[in-house]
Amino acid sequence: MIAWYVSPMLEAAPSPQQTRPPTQATTLENIVLRDYRGIPTRLGDLWRDRPAALVFLRHYG
Amino acid sequence: MFCRDHAVQLHRDRHRFDAADVTLAAIGQGTLDQAAHFRRVQGVDIPLFVDPDRRSYEAAGAKVAMLSELVGPRVIARAVQRTLASRIRQGSIVVHQGRILDHPAQLGGVLVIAPDGSVRYAHMSEDASDNAPNGEVLAAARAIRPHADAGA
Repeated sequence: MIAWYVSPMLEAAPSPQQTRPPTQATTLENIVLRDYRGIPTRLGDLWRDRPAALVFLRHYG
Repeated sequence: MFCRDHAVQLHRDRHRFDAADVTLAAIGQGTLDQAAHFRRVQGVDIPLFVDPDRRSYEAAGAKVAMLSELVGPRVIARAVQRTLASRIRQGSIVVHQGRILDHPAQLGGVLVIAPDGSVRYAHMSEDASDNAPNGEVLAAARAIRPHADAGA
């Protein structure tokens, strides 16, 4: 329980960071992630045939 | 709590994304079990992927927050506001802060990507309370295929 409160303090960035969204998804397209069932998916396949909205959640807590 | 709130809002709008012919997918840190649990408990019926190494976060240009961007006044104020709103809102899903798993300072965001691989919209979070409005995301996706949702 203590670690839950303390870990953000230890792992937070020490100085401001900038977001750096890409203009092309080339760095994302070949990343393979598993879904909640364990099925692997190449990210580029998500937008191969139609647009995709890719949402990055902070965590599944 | 912002992640839960965001995921629940995405779940509620999932048919609008379908109608606009847009693939909707969410990525989170953690394990398959955590993702499955999150999906079951929150009642979120959208594709959920896990990225324990956070490679996709780095490729998407998401940032790691400073402490003030996790628990600063703006974040606390929004947390109170959203907690009250979720409890007032009709429906069965009540949003509150859950246990933070994996890298606690990793922030998220949203990218809308066209079939040619170009990123047409990006909203990467500046702090823990900063989530892209779904309406804005949908509008960006519809602009790629303006006729897909003409009848909706």
